[in-house]
This record gives sequence, structure tokens and C-alpha cells, in this order.
Amino acid sequence: MATERFDKVIIGAGLYGLYAALFCCRKGQKVAVLDCENEPFKRATYVNQARVHQGYHYPRSISTAMKSAEYFERFNRDFDFCINREFDQIYATSARYSWTDGKQFREFCKAAGIPWEELNPDNYFRSGMCDGAFRTREYTYDALILRDHFLDELNSFQNAVRLELGARISGIERTGDSYIINTENKGSFESGYILNAAYAGTNQILDMAGFEKFRIKYELCEIILCDVNEALKATGFTVMDGPFFSIMPFGKTGLHSLTSVTFTPHAVSTDPVPTFPCQKLSNGNCSRTRLGNCNECPVRPRTAFPYMSGLAGKYLLDDYEFNYRQSLFSMKPVLTSSEIDDSRPTLIRRYSTGPTFVGVLSGKINTVYDLEEFL
Amino acid sequence: MIWKNFYSSGENAYESLLYSHNTLPVNYKRDKRFTMENKEKNFVSAVIYVHNAEKRIESFLRAVIRTMEDNFEHSEIICVNDSSEDDSISIIKEVSSEAENTSISVINMSYFHGRELAMNAGMDLAIGDYVFEFDNTTLDFDPVVIMQVYRTALDGFDIVSASPDRRERFTSRLFYGIFDRFSGRTYGMTTESFRILSRRVVNRISSMSKNALYRKAMYVNSGLKTGNIKYPVSGKKREPEDKKEKRYRSRLAADSLILFTELGYRFSIAMTMLMMFMSLFVIAYTVITYFTSNPVEGWTTTILFLSVSFFGLFGILTVIIKYLQLLVDMVFKRKHYSYESVEKLK
Repeated sequence: MATERFDKVIIGAGLYGLYAALFCCRKGQKVAVLDCENEPFKRATYVNQARVHQGYHYPRSISTAMKSAEYFERFNRDFDFCINREFDQIYATSARYSWTDGKQFREFCKAAGIPWEELNPDNYFRSGMCDGAFRTREYTYDALILRDHFLDELNSFQNAVRLELGARISGIERTGDSYIINTENKGSFESGYILNAAYAGTNQILDMAGFEKFRIKYELCEIILCDVNEALKATGFTVMDGPFFSIMPFGKTGLHSLTSVTFTPHAVSTDPVPTFPCQKLSNGNCSRTRLGNCNECPVRPRTAFPYMSGLAGKYLLDDYEFNYRQSLFSMKPVLTSSEIDDSRPTLIRRYSTGPTFVGVLSGKINTVYDLEEFL
Repeated sequence: MIWKNFYSSGENAYESLLYSHNTLPVNYKRDKRFTMENKEKNFVSAVIYVHNAEKRIESFLRAVIRTMEDNFEHSEIICVNDSSEDDSISIIKEVSSEAENTSISVINMSYFHGRELAMNAGMDLAIGDYVFEFDNTTLDFDPVVIMQVYRTALDGFDIVSASPDRRERFTSRLFYGIFDRFSGRTYGMTTESFRILSRRVVNRISSMSKNALYRKAMYVNSGLKTGNIKYPVSGKKREPEDKKEKRYRSRLAADSLILFTELGYRFSIAMTMLMMFMSLFVIAYTVITYFTSNPVEGWTTTILFLSVSFFGLFGILTVIIKYLQLLVDMVFKRKHYSYESVEKLK
């Protein structure tokens, strides 16, 4: 098949990929977006807690907290249509096993300059379980609404953008001042600028291009979607800071997402590229070189709902009820350097210039703006 | 509990739930992971105290894993490693890798905390509807006893313990005897190998006091229904505890007697009464001697002064001891544990 030339080629049709594509189109560039999925936003952008972070989540990493707060307003303004603000987001510190207590959390909020209102933990949690509860200003975004927005916007640049879904990348070569990305089924793409926004697949792409990989480990994660009763409908709970859980609205779907630090990860791989025993059973959909979609995998794990709900039930008052609806699975890369302080820095690396190869790795939706200076 | 609703419509609800995942081209019936046996639907946790147990932990942990996996759909095992200096932890990791559907975690305590605080740490992590507490890792019972204890709990007992069917050690008998005698109520405690607690008890204890010096006494204090099962001792003899643990246990015995019983207070009251009575006797004797014989000059005043002073002094001592008891009480209630890490193994 023919080789087509673009100003930029972006790998990965998640939020970072599509944001970059739209940003470049608006500058008048010709862009290609490649993704192995048959739709954008099929993985991490959709399968996560859907938090629009303002920093509350990182009481041991004020740098991550302040970074999140910085972009919070801008993200909410730019993507107002997909934001759910209609609920109380309550953060609480567990009385036991927490790295942060109520007082420290308050001090942290003060230092990070993010608003909080102190509440009585006994109004929400079983007696003695939490030593601090705070009403916070944190929202949730609806990934599918956000996806449709990006598709609509990109649609108006039809001649400038090529969204190549279902593309199976087979190799990346460098020739003089450009890179050529070869695919098994969609021809070749040539460009002087490559953006690797493949998230969990990022090291697999870097491996193909022969660059140094990110130091990450991989967690196969489960997010559970729940139907909730009236009492819980307009409330989100996040119990910090250790082996706890969170149950909060999932965008505008009317469902709540339930996750827990201990039971959300089902399997871990510490290899530079994701290596799991289940890959052998995936009928060729998933391998060390090309990660499949965990959510659609025939051998995805059995739900950990009994564990997660047991944990949540240990904390929450009986007034709050939730029932299992559905599980979502996805692969999450975790920087190995961030285990101690639990920080989630957004890493953007430039591997080469002329031709340029940039890689991004971020676990947070609202730091997408960091990309702009690299585009 | 909220998640029980999840099962309330019986097994079929669970099955349809499995199918309600996106389209999954897997035959659940044939897949071993999904076969539905008649397993218990309650979520149980097992908390195991581990301190230098490399010789016993392997068979013990294996027995617990097997019991959990064979009988319960969902369970977790929490090993509390109270700063073991031997190979216990690597053996736990090895045995854990054999587990198929139970979750196994290890809490590594920062330094030697002793059984009571360490087990509290384990209990705080446990999420089960029922929680087993294995205070030691000697497998001197048939694993079926674990399920007997569980079933007894289902019959309406919030706390069910299992004790070896043999004569207690003299020291244990002495301790429990004194405990019952001086606590003003009948605890009826005996040597126990393990017990099961309902979530109700666990919640009640945690709201009663942040730190129970002695769990067993707290459980009885919770006022919920308790049961006990005697099992015939089989297999291994209980291994002698190591020095650290032995010292810890005798100190715990003394502390418990002071904190939960009125032994110390009653002893000092008795002594004070006795001494006060003796002071009174001496006063009377002095007065009589003064009138009947001719004591050396100054003897009467000296002895009278001393007796009255002692009389007052003992009175003051009683008050001080009462204060001390209150202080000890409050200090112990504030005592906390510290742990190094929590690892999820399986």
C-alpha cells in the first residue's frame, strides 16, 4: 500500500491523542491518528474513575495536587458539556491504615489552596471508621460525551485529519528527516513528527521505535459500575489514604463507579512491556507486543465485586445501597518511581528532533494541556 | 450489609450477573472458575497471628486456605507477621501462590507488638461478615472444626471459640480463676485456639474502645452471645512459645488482671484495712499501757503519733491507687500500633 505523508502522526485515540489532533488541525496541519481499536476512547480514557482532579487525591504529593488544581478550572470551562457537577464529593480519611489523618488532610488542602468543608464523619460512616470527612469540589466527566464532542470537532477538519481505526502497527522506521510507521492493514504513514499517546501500549511503541522505555509496571484494573439508591445518588465517597475504596458518580451515566486500591488491580506485570499469563488464552488478541482490550477479552478476570462491596460496606452507613451492574477492565501503567508518594506526574519526553518523536504518559485527564508546548 | 443484596435473589441472580457482562464467548458451566458449588455465600476473613512460626506455618496456612476455598465463595486471609526473625514470611509467600480464589495479604508489623495489638491490626484490615481469629499456628485440631465453629456462629452466636479438649495448664487455670473471681462477673474464659466473630461484635468493639488491651475480655464485655466448642486434640503438640512471646504473655496476664479486674485495687484496700486496723490496735494498746504500766517518757506520744500517721497514710494510699488505676486505664486506651507495610500476595 502507498505511503502517505502527514505533518504529524499520533498513535493512540484516547483523550491525549484526539486533543493533540484537534489542536494541530486548528493550526492548519495535516494529521493522522492511529489506533488499534475500532472506536476512540475504548480504553483508559473511558475505563477509569472519571475524576476531574483538583488535587484532593494526592495528599502526599503536593506537586501533583497543585498541577491538577491549575488545570481544573480550564478543563471544566472547555469541556463543560460533559462535566457532572451535581453531587457532593466527600473525601474521608480512614481512622486506621491511612497514611494521612483528618488534620493532615485539612492542612494539605490549605497548602494546596483547594477548597474544603469539614463534615462530621458519623453522618456518613460507621462509628470510629473515619477520623475526618470533607466536602470537596471535584467533578466527574462523561467520556462518551467527550468522545462525541471530539469526533464532531474533528469532522469539521475532514480534509486535514485521518482517523485510522483498527490499525495494527507493525514497525517504525526512521528515514532521513522523517519516520515511517508501517501497519499490517492500513498502509504506511510518513511524518516528521510522531506523538506516542498509547498509554498502556506506550512501551510497546517505544520498543518498536528503539527508544528507552518508561519505567512502569502494569496493573489489570477493574472498575465496577453500580446502580445506587436515592441516598447515594447525589454523593460520591472517597476514603483515603491507603487500602481503601471510592464510590462516585460515573460521568452523567447515572451509575456510580466502585473501585478499591486493593481489589481493583487483578494482576500485575513488572516487565517493561505488559506480560500476563492470560495473554496466551486470548486467542491472539493480546500479546507482549500488542495489548488487546481487556474489557472485551474472553479471559478477563472474574469480578471482585464481593471484595470491593465488602470493603465499602465496612465503612458506609447502611443507608447507602448499591448493586452490581457491570464491570469494566483496562490496563493501567503505573510509574515505578511514584509508589512512595503516590504522585501521578504527567511525563512528556522528546526522544528525537528532526524528525521528532514525542512520548506522553499521564494518568490524569486534565493535565492534557501540558501537551500544547510540545505540539 | 449492602452487598448481601447482591445475592438476595439466590444463585440464579449471580449467574445472570455473570452473563450480563458484555458478550463473553466462554462457557461458564465448563470453566472451572465459574462452576457453582454449594459454597457459603458469606464473606469470611481469617486473621492469623504469625511470630517465628516457620515450622508450623506451612501446614497451618495450607489447611486454612483449603478450608476457605472449599467452603466459601469469597474469603480473604490476613497473616499478621509480628516481626518474625525466621523464614515464616517466605514460607507464607510460597504457600500463598498455591491459592486459587481466596485473597491473601500480609501485614508486617514494624517491631514486636505482641499478639493483642498485632491481631487488632489484622482485625482492622479484615472486611468479612465473619472474621476468624487464629491466635496461634499450631494445627492441633482437625480443619473440620473450623467449619463447626462457623456453623455454630450461624446458629445465632456472635462469638464462637474453639478450645482444646484437655486439661488447661496450671498457670492458665490460675489466671482465668483469678480473673473471674475479681472481675465481679463471670467471664467463663478458657484457653482458646481460635474463634469466629460476627461483624456486629467487631463493630461494637471498635466503637467501645479504640484499643483493647486484652481482646478476649473485650469480646465478653461486648455483651453479645458467645459459644465454645471443645475439640479433641489431634496431631502435633503445641510447641513452646519463644522467649519473647512468653515474657509478653506473662506481662499481658498481669496487665489484664490490673486493667480488667479489681485485683490490684481490692488487694490494696484489703491491705489498707488490715494496716488501719493494726494502727487502731496499737493506739488502743498504747493508751492502755499508759494507764496500766509506766512506759518510758516520750514512748506514748511517739507511738501515738506514728500510729495515727500510718492510719492516715494508708488512707491516702488507697486514694492514690484509685487514681493510678484510672490513669493506667486512660493511657492504655490511647495505646496504638504501628505497621510497616501491607502486601497483597494473591
